[in-house]
Amino acid sequence: MELRSYIIRRLLLLIPVLFGVTVFIFGITMLFSPIERASLYIRSARQMGDIPAIIATYGLDQPFWVQYGTWISQVFHGNLGWSSVVNMPVWDAIWNFLPATLELAIFATPLIILMGVFLGTRAAAHKDRPLDHVTRVGAIAGWSLPTFWLGLMLLMVFYGLFRGLLPPDRLSFPMNLLVNSADFVRYTRINTIDAILNLNGPVLLDALRHLILPVITLSVVNVAFIMRLMRSSMLESLGKGYILTARAKGLSERVVVNKHARRNALIPVITVSGYVFAAMANGVVITETIFTFKGIGWWAALAATRLDIAGVLGFALFNAVLFVLVNLVVDILYTRVDPRVRLGGVMQ
Amino acid sequence: MKNLIRIRDLTVKFYTYEGVVHAIDDLELDIRQGETLGIVGETGSGKTMTALAILRLIPYPGKIESGSIIFFDTGLRREIDLLKLSEDKMRSIRGNKISMVFQEPGAALNPVFTIGNQISEVFLLHQRRELGKRAKEQVDRLLRDGDGFAAGIKRPFWRWQKRLYDKISQESNPFEPRFLSHVPLFRRLLWRLENESKLLTVDMLKDVEIPDAARVAIHYPHELSGGMKQRAVIAMALACSPELLIADEPTTSLDVTIQAQMLELFRRIKVEKGASVLFITHNLGVASEVCDRVAVMYAGSLCEVASVEELFLHPSHPYTKALLDAVPMPGKDLQTIPGALADPLNPPSGCRFHPRCPSAMPVCQQEKAKLKDISNDHMVACHLF
Amino acid sequence: MTDWKFMARQLARNPLSLIGIIIIFIFVILAIFAPLIAPPQGYRDPYMIPRDGYSATPQPPSEEHIFGTTEGQYDIFYGVIWGTRSAFHVGLVVIGIVVVIGIVLGSLAGYFGGVIDEVIMRITDIFLAFPALILAMAIVTVIGPSLKSVMIALIVVSWPSYARLIRGDILQVREEDYIEASRGLGASSARVIIRHALPNAIYPTLIMASLDIGAVVLSAAALSFLGLGAPEGYADWGQLTSFARNWIVGPTAEPLKYWFAVTIPGLFILFFVLGWNLLGDAFRDILDPRLARR
Repeated sequence: MELRSYIIRRLLLLIPVLFGVTVFIFGITMLFSPIERASLYIRSARQMGDIPAIIATYGLDQPFWVQYGTWISQVFHGNLGWSSVVNMPVWDAIWNFLPATLELAIFATPLIILMGVFLGTRAAAHKDRPLDHVTRVGAIAGWSLPTFWLGLMLLMVFYGLFRGLLPPDRLSFPMNLLVNSADFVRYTRINTIDAILNLNGPVLLDALRHLILPVITLSVVNVAFIMRLMRSSMLESLGKGYILTARAKGLSERVVVNKHARRNALIPVITVSGYVFAAMANGVVITETIFTFKGIGWWAALAATRLDIAGVLGFALFNAVLFVLVNLVVDILYTRVDPRVRLGGVMQ
Repeated sequence: MKNLIRIRDLTVKFYTYEGVVHAIDDLELDIRQGETLGIVGETGSGKTMTALAILRLIPYPGKIESGSIIFFDTGLRREIDLLKLSEDKMRSIRGNKISMVFQEPGAALNPVFTIGNQISEVFLLHQRRELGKRAKEQVDRLLRDGDGFAAGIKRPFWRWQKRLYDKISQESNPFEPRFLSHVPLFRRLLWRLENESKLLTVDMLKDVEIPDAARVAIHYPHELSGGMKQRAVIAMALACSPELLIADEPTTSLDVTIQAQMLELFRRIKVEKGASVLFITHNLGVASEVCDRVAVMYAGSLCEVASVEELFLHPSHPYTKALLDAVPMPGKDLQTIPGALADPLNPPSGCRFHPRCPSAMPVCQQEKAKLKDISNDHMVACHLF
Repeated sequence: MTDWKFMARQLARNPLSLIGIIIIFIFVILAIFAPLIAPPQGYRDPYMIPRDGYSATPQPPSEEHIFGTTEGQYDIFYGVIWGTRSAFHVGLVVIGIVVVIGIVLGSLAGYFGGVIDEVIMRITDIFLAFPALILAMAIVTVIGPSLKSVMIALIVVSWPSYARLIRGDILQVREEDYIEASRGLGASSARVIIRHALPNAIYPTLIMASLDIGAVVLSAAALSFLGLGAPEGYADWGQLTSFARNWIVGPTAEPLKYWFAVTIPGLFILFFVLGWNLLGDAFRDILDPRLARR
């Protein structure tokens, strides 16, 4: 099976890259003294008090590769160290804060894709007409916006000017109490999903209210990016021969654009979605900080400012692995979507 | 023989950044029923533009400035000016009564859809009634012969389907099927239409001599060879039995051996389908193989048009003579036509060919010659006559 | 081969690119004449914004402080004007070094191929496995926050893309070389041919690089905003915006009271990046023949 061997081949190629990534991260840590490095191995608050023991146990004065071996085996056991800013092991911190970020991603991703594709198609179909110019300027402006500034401005208007209409944080105070109480079952720790599963309307509305601004802030830059890409991709597609054939068949312009042109135009957009993921990962750090939306981005930014090395590096490692896997998924998806990339012979 | 297409005073201009390009200049041309008319000319002579004008597919920044293209619709027994039709009605003619085959089959086919899908599209678009009728017959048969428990459950759905297909086969744009086609689950009720179109597609592919048609239909364009692709494109064009098939240099991009097969196919189409064919080519040899009459174009105007034998035996227009002379033959020195092609932005005044014409006269520079009948069905636009 | 005159004409014709050029021009003027527009006071480092007191509350625009003051009484006007200088400083230095590294490593990889190519490509893979800002954050945390470490971090994060780009350009040129060589056009050293053809291949990449200055400044501003960049009181747009975090909402009666602290530094960033992006867009349209206007 072509696909299976392709996946296996790609997974095998992943290993040297992941190896390099881990060596890189580890190499950074070696710039620190053994005492500072100890935080990478601590699992509990108790252990923090006994640094020399840590140094001895994990051999923090051994040669590079020995230490690397120790560290990587620790990583595989889930020990990424201790994050001082939140007083819990890094691994726990990641899983603790991940649901919030996932919540943002769940709402932002479809918004980005749908808006980007839709606007890009419309702009290309109405090329050089008012709609095209407006969306183009909008896209460039959106692409130039500093995410943090947009977030601040939105808060200023919708939280300040409109008196708390769309507040920061994940939930308002009373709702937060409710959600953490015994009356509310936490299935996923994603507030909106849990609210639905608990059939609790007020919590759902409250969570949504808190999501609107962060999701918009996160999306704007990416919508601009996808929109521009979709537009140029559509223009290229509309210039191809099969479009003339489609028109010569008597198909309506709507079908020509939406069926024939768009399918081809989506292909480059899909290949780029890996980068959109990276852009979102970046955006999440800033957005969560501004809105005090306690997800992994918020935690990472806090860790960086407080020089919590284990936290920052753990976050970087987590992201790298995730990013590499996402790219693999995107590549596989690409082979499904573009028939030309599938392997096959030529029929005579 | 009546004229299927009558083109009169057709002028097409392109408003480009560099200037106005005169693509077609006061063209007058007839295509008769059942004939294969060839248009021969160099690049830029306006051959492709003529074809696109008939289908009203002139791309931006081109514009059809004036003229008329009268199409005689055999089915409706009525003459219509294609240039005055609404876009809706024009769309119902494209791919249906008049269809086109392009030069590069690879570029003409959409790489992300299967061959079968692209051909079925034409059936589903233009022959819905026929498909509805066939689907209805299928369901009728099921309703008649089906028995047993499974049939009993399916019966109400069959009856619903029968009603839907009945509507499709009789009404012009029936509401219920159209509405249901947008509703996710209920879309399935109309699946027989697609099924029937698939059967028709495979038949069509067999017609153009594609081996193992059913298997080819589920393949993608890039998985086929050039010759197969071109056959598929021809199948797509012939699907609805058009009255006029326009073929724009259909064999130019193919190997010579495949070319011969393709010409044979065109000859067969002429005989079996009785359609008229407008065959555009720059290759005189190919024209002589396949056409009944040949028209010679230069710089957007018609020079000469006559039956194939007449044209090759008695070429009258200086350009035609020069073209024929220029065909390389063993034992003869290579002849070329002196001068350069007419500049499309700034064509010569009067007759477009006069700067390069060996028999140019003073009047040629001042006014264009009109098409005149000089002998049995042989027309020339030249001041010599 | 790009015809410079033709390109310049096309640029001038496009209204969006004209706006971009004008914007950048204005910023260049601001940067060059910063000492005249916002005179530094005394002997201190001109990049440190003068403070008018130590009160935490931002003061609205007045005669003395044209754009008002932000938290800690730093003059916003002074900050954004000298911030233009630091923006150009960061942008030009980072892009300059990144392009050099990219050319060197990219050419090595592209020209020599084989093991060297593989090694360099794997290294870029490793760097590219991290989302940019996150890796930059990690690097700054390790080195210690300052504007210099932000620049180092951005250099480290950006060079892989350029190395790849230039490697691709060289590979394209190399292909043509071999074809020509096989036609027997002469056995002149491949290196000489590349030295002639290389500049042509690199022009578009260089142009794109110079237009990435906007993106670099944006990332630097983000890092400064998070507190990982310029120290407090330094004339840096991101730094100035970070003060505004506490002053998004004013007292109940006037919620937008401190708008100037939030809006003004951000606007400067926005227009700076916008100018470069408009120019970049226009260049992309010109260099792409398919999208050229008729």
